[in-house]
Amino acid sequence: MFMGYFPSVQDKNWGGQRGAGVPLPKDSGQKLSSPSCLPDPILNSLRLPQAWLDTQDRHLGHYVNGKWLKPEHRNSVPCQDPITGERLAICLQAQAEDVVAAVEAAGTAFENWSGLPGASRAQHLLRLAKMIQKHQRLLWTLESLVTGRAVREVRDGDVPLAQQLLQYHAVQAYTQEEVLAGWEPMGVIGLILSPTFSFLEMMWRICPALAVGCTVVVLVPPASPTPLLLAQLAGELGSFPGILNVISGPASLGPVLASQPGVQKVTFCGAIEEGRALRRTLAGKGAELGLALGAESLLMLTEAADVDSAVEGVVDAAWSDRSAGGLRLLIQESVWDETMRRLQERMARLRGGRGLDGAVDMGARGAAAHDLAQRYVREARSQGAQVFQAGAVPSDSPFFPPTLVSDLPPASPCTQAEVPWPVVVASPFRTAKEALAVANGTPRGASASVWSERLGQALELGYGLRVGTVWINAHGLRNAEVPTGGCKESGSSWSGGPDGLYEYLRPSGTPARLSYFSENLNYGTFGLAVPSTLPAGPEIGPSPATPYGLLIGGHFQAPGARSSRPIQDAQGNLHGYVAEGGAKDIRGAVEAAHQAAPGWVGQSPGARATLLWALATALERREAALTSRLERHGTELKDAKVEVELSARQLRAWGARAQAQGHVLQVAGLKGPVLRLREPLGVLAIVCPDEWPLLAFVSLLAAALAHGNTVVLVPSGACPIPALELCQDMAALLPAGLVNVVTGDRDHLTRCLALHQDVQALWYFGSAQGSQFVEWASAGNLKPVWVNRGCPWAWDQEAKGAGRELGLRAARTKALWLPMGD
Amino acid sequence: MSARNRGTELDQVGGATEEGVDLPSSLHPTGMHTSGFGCFPMEPEALNLSWISKMQVNQPAVLRRAQQIQARRTVKKEWQAAWLLKAVTFIDLTTLSGDDTSSNIQRLCYKAKYPIREDLLKTLNMHDKGLTTAAVCVYPARVCDAVRALKAAGCTIPVASVATGFPAGQTHLKTRLEEIRLAVEDGATEIDVVINRTLVLTGQWEGSDFIKTSTGKETVNATFPVAIVMLRAIRDFFWKTGNKVGFKPAGGIRSAKDSLAWLSLVKEELGDEWLTPDLFRIGASTLLSDIERQVCNNPLSWDKLTSVFLRKKRKIPYWAMRTREKTSSDLPHCTQTSAFIQANPHLKWADWTRERECA
Repeated sequence: MFMGYFPSVQDKNWGGQRGAGVPLPKDSGQKLSSPSCLPDPILNSLRLPQAWLDTQDRHLGHYVNGKWLKPEHRNSVPCQDPITGERLAICLQAQAEDVVAAVEAAGTAFENWSGLPGASRAQHLLRLAKMIQKHQRLLWTLESLVTGRAVREVRDGDVPLAQQLLQYHAVQAYTQEEVLAGWEPMGVIGLILSPTFSFLEMMWRICPALAVGCTVVVLVPPASPTPLLLAQLAGELGSFPGILNVISGPASLGPVLASQPGVQKVTFCGAIEEGRALRRTLAGKGAELGLALGAESLLMLTEAADVDSAVEGVVDAAWSDRSAGGLRLLIQESVWDETMRRLQERMARLRGGRGLDGAVDMGARGAAAHDLAQRYVREARSQGAQVFQAGAVPSDSPFFPPTLVSDLPPASPCTQAEVPWPVVVASPFRTAKEALAVANGTPRGASASVWSERLGQALELGYGLRVGTVWINAHGLRNAEVPTGGCKESGSSWSGGPDGLYEYLRPSGTPARLSYFSENLNYGTFGLAVPSTLPAGPEIGPSPATPYGLLIGGHFQAPGARSSRPIQDAQGNLHGYVAEGGAKDIRGAVEAAHQAAPGWVGQSPGARATLLWALATALERREAALTSRLERHGTELKDAKVEVELSARQLRAWGARAQAQGHVLQVAGLKGPVLRLREPLGVLAIVCPDEWPLLAFVSLLAAALAHGNTVVLVPSGACPIPALELCQDMAALLPAGLVNVVTGDRDHLTRCLALHQDVQALWYFGSAQGSQFVEWASAGNLKPVWVNRGCPWAWDQEAKGAGRELGLRAARTKALWLPMGD
Repeated sequence: MSARNRGTELDQVGGATEEGVDLPSSLHPTGMHTSGFGCFPMEPEALNLSWISKMQVNQPAVLRRAQQIQARRTVKKEWQAAWLLKAVTFIDLTTLSGDDTSSNIQRLCYKAKYPIREDLLKTLNMHDKGLTTAAVCVYPARVCDAVRALKAAGCTIPVASVATGFPAGQTHLKTRLEEIRLAVEDGATEIDVVINRTLVLTGQWEGSDFIKTSTGKETVNATFPVAIVMLRAIRDFFWKTGNKVGFKPAGGIRSAKDSLAWLSLVKEELGDEWLTPDLFRIGASTLLSDIERQVCNNPLSWDKLTSVFLRKKRKIPYWAMRTREKTSSDLPHCTQTSAFIQANPHLKWADWTRERECA
């Protein structure tokens, strides 16, 4: 019954026409002269991008250092119109040497660019915004022609937002010296885009990078001319040619770009599996890795919602050319029938067609996206799902109709797999609590919307969702001032707002990142076996008996392995034995931490501060014992005293900071606030360094607790006893399971933690090999990791021990949009 | 002469008869029952006031939708001309001034009969299709003049009258009913009733067979967000009861571009079924002259316009028409167009007009 505006089977006498190509009027002047025979409007709007491609002789290279780079003897890829298959241009594929040239150009430009006062960089970004404004028509027609997306979305959405991004970040550059004092730009940034992400995703990332003084090399997939055009526009501003370089090449060049010396950070936007592979490849390499993965979003429709508006939200989320991915739709059972009817009715009114047609809702996105959707739908159908499509599209059509999948069996693989564009997978829920459990049960966490007219319910769901962005009664709103990012497998790279800026900054004075990659590290065997420990001679010295056991779930318990490891003092004498923790203990500790998490998250910052302050007092009470323990491990008495004193101070400082978290953003064009929340990471595992055994332990612990995390700690390997001393107070003061401390072989414990799927973040301070292993292993559940790459830190310096970096890392951001109106 | 109780002017949904008094039997809705909308079986129910209390409207979301809908379906060229002529057929050509006399009513009626200049219609090949506005709308005292003038012009355009203490509706029920009877006696076939908003605000609703955004005499009249809410209510009511309620935006619709946006709004929210003068009217006084100006400015002489305009359903797909053009004309651009269409299969669907615009 519902025949959408998608080509139907009855119209099928054009089957073989795909790829025939569009005949273009070569001589248009004559036809334009007579108004009664204007050429077809689409042909008309094709001219501008075609003319631009002609300036390159339909032969696109790379844009490096303000010049087109067209090296010889390179493979080339055709750039095709996704609908007609017509060849628009030929794109050269970069090779390693082109990447080297681009990184070199960016490196040279960095010296000038980063040295400029922020005001000058602001000026330059504003000039680029103006440049885009002057050539916006070329930009949107080219983007729509090449990607097949509806021109309306590019024209009314992407291009204005690109300008807004430049303007916002120009302001940030202007105020950088003042607001971001103590931070410096990282250096050359590599940005890798995969084909599903548009030029706008590139803008989201290059704007903050350029604003803070970094320079960028962008690796775009072959046959994507729009980023090249943007680079050309930036290059044509004249000054600072090398700040934005765009090379096009296959995804396999990603690791090449990332491992160039000088590249300090790599941001990758693409599919989850690709991101995972890149994470593994880049373990131990110089560049830091930021991941923004997947494109699926989620919509939660409660019975208290304005259903018609929510249906429009579904259209915005999946059946428009605004979004890159599909949608998981959760509908409350009581409004299921009504919603399905409205959805199907609405689907029938969607128009598909050539993107350049201004009255089209959905274009076509090329063969890859089509096949992906096709495969998913076929799979879902074979698993017993109901599939509804508006309009029957012949199998050889480049278009894919809007698709609604329902009744998917809960156990089928499609329930867990990422939903591709333009598919919506609907499933029912009974209560809000159940909806939250289902939503948080998916491994991804990019964005979600909640539709409910009940304020309390909407906020409960909005706060409860573990995602990067939540919209209440809206979907897909974006603004340069609001940070956008994700959590879980969606990666933890942020763009926009303050969080976007910190992605490309590091505390001033941090040494440049160099590769510490070790060929010899065997990921399969690292830390696998625990060296056996034997009695190590008599315990010498007057100290009281050392605390023994693992602090798990609020009390000391014997290790699963039932063995101990000796700890030597500075003279090589036996100081005492600590428990030899293993995989089983780690499992227990993580479980205990998970159980304690809801209680701790629910605590007010004030209550958290009180506990941290109480712990500081307890620590001071133990000052004598702690000092003597530290002294025995070779610390000077004076330094030991300082360490204990600083530790207490850290606890108090973080307790105080816990109270000032998050803030409210006011966004242009939106009535109502956007909350920038700082939420805990969850269960955080921390492997503490050997240096400053007490201070480092306390600093890391305090920052983690202040932000609402529950922790599993592995104290210093050489000197764990001061930390264990403190554990006696923690066992008494803190809620059970909030802090769990496991001693033992660090490599083995690190292995267990890094591979653990329920550990939600991991900080590692230890050997270079350990760091490399942690980076490699984090690819499993894509937990955010922070490693010291084998470099000892000066924990007594304010910048390190209490620096803002620790605060940034200890929590994740969430943007909560609250549009208002009566 | 029978008249339909046609308009209830209100920013919201539905209408109310007050104090339980029956309307004259001739004013009862005809009760159009149409079976089936989509694949969902429909079991008509009686009006249930609890529907209204369950209704949820999210204002910011409706505002966003209103903004989108104006940008999403802009039409150009021959499609624009066809849509504009279609818009003419929905106009309730209105004069509601205190100084209306029989002479300006006469002019109004002439304009209703010949809404677009004959020479322009000739260019568009639409001169012999009997294009008129949907109705003329006047004060009750001018109904006689209008009926006489239309009769003299020899046409059957209905005369609508505002009644019942227009525009405030704050007069006695008795005088209001009398007003309706008199207007009907004078020959009005459609009555725009101003409902008692006191009753509405206290939740005492009743059905109506046409709803109107406003009287046109308020500071804010027909706006898209309000219209979206009303149209959704019309659709829900149809789904629930099988009754099709008509919709009339009135006031502030002055430009041809606005009228196109209104048409596309109705088409998007309710579908083509509602794009008929029985179910959709635009109350306007100055809109027509702007439409005429736009048709005049349309530089295209479209001999195919007639078929674009008159085609009710997708019997002949749009592309087929354009392909025939190829054989009938050897203009180079036409050949290219049809070649393009052949190469671009997605262009091969359309309904009674094809909305299209290019960047």
